[in-house]
Amino acid sequence: MRELRTALAAVGAFAVGYLLPGTLQLPVLIYDPVARGAHFGRVTNAVQMRYYGDLIVASIASLAAAAIAWKLPPRRTPLTIAAATALSLVALDVLFYLSRLLAAM
Amino acid sequence: MIKALLISHAILGFTAVFAATHHAAHAVLAALGKPQARALRRFGWIAPASILAQAVTGLAIYPAYRVNVRAADLERSAPIAVQLFDLKEHLAALALALVIGAAFAGRKADEETPWPVAALSCTGAAFLWTAAAIGLYVTARHSV
Repeated sequence: MRELRTALAAVGAFAVGYLLPGTLQLPVLIYDPVARGAHFGRVTNAVQMRYYGDLIVASIASLAAAAIAWKLPPRRTPLTIAAATALSLVALDVLFYLSRLLAAM
Repeated sequence: MIKALLISHAILGFTAVFAATHHAAHAVLAALGKPQARALRRFGWIAPASILAQAVTGLAIYPAYRVNVRAADLERSAPIAVQLFDLKEHLAALALALVIGAAFAGRKADEETPWPVAALSCTGAAFLWTAAAIGLYVTARHSV
């Protein structure tokens, strides 16, 4: 039970932490594969990559949520509702990225 | 070096796909009331280990893809392939969290409510299959 609640919190936080920095263009770690250098900020040309930075933010959010869920006493929220919430957040990410793909077609 | 990393990424990617699929299948069987504790424990470390290894190799070749494939060719010749590859990267990232989460939670899936574990595991496996198919398509068009 405790493992599942922790995993669901981690997955939900990863989904939020992965989606928000990219959509809001928040400053993250940016890697420039041409200059072979990294900096903290926003993407300024098409070659620069924010994928590493987005992954780091999502991983930190996920680990923080997992640690909090592991430490907190068990909630009364049914596990099915917690699972549905976590998977809905994942579905929100997928719908957003699918909409970008369809918009580009 | 990049070609070797790409081949490693492909092999580890398929290992991750099949391990996650096995975990998902055992999680569903556990949810149906058939004891699967041993299999869930076994694939509960194989799936996360393989997905982490394929993610590391994927992250290592991503800059080469960005410069030698995406910027040099695909953005002009196949912009849809660029968007598909971006979707693949997002699905792979989400699958990473889902597979690790399902493996962690699956350690006790036989004892307690197992359907949420099966849902996490099946979603992660489905994302991995989709990412693998898109990765093969883009690599077939232009590899690093």
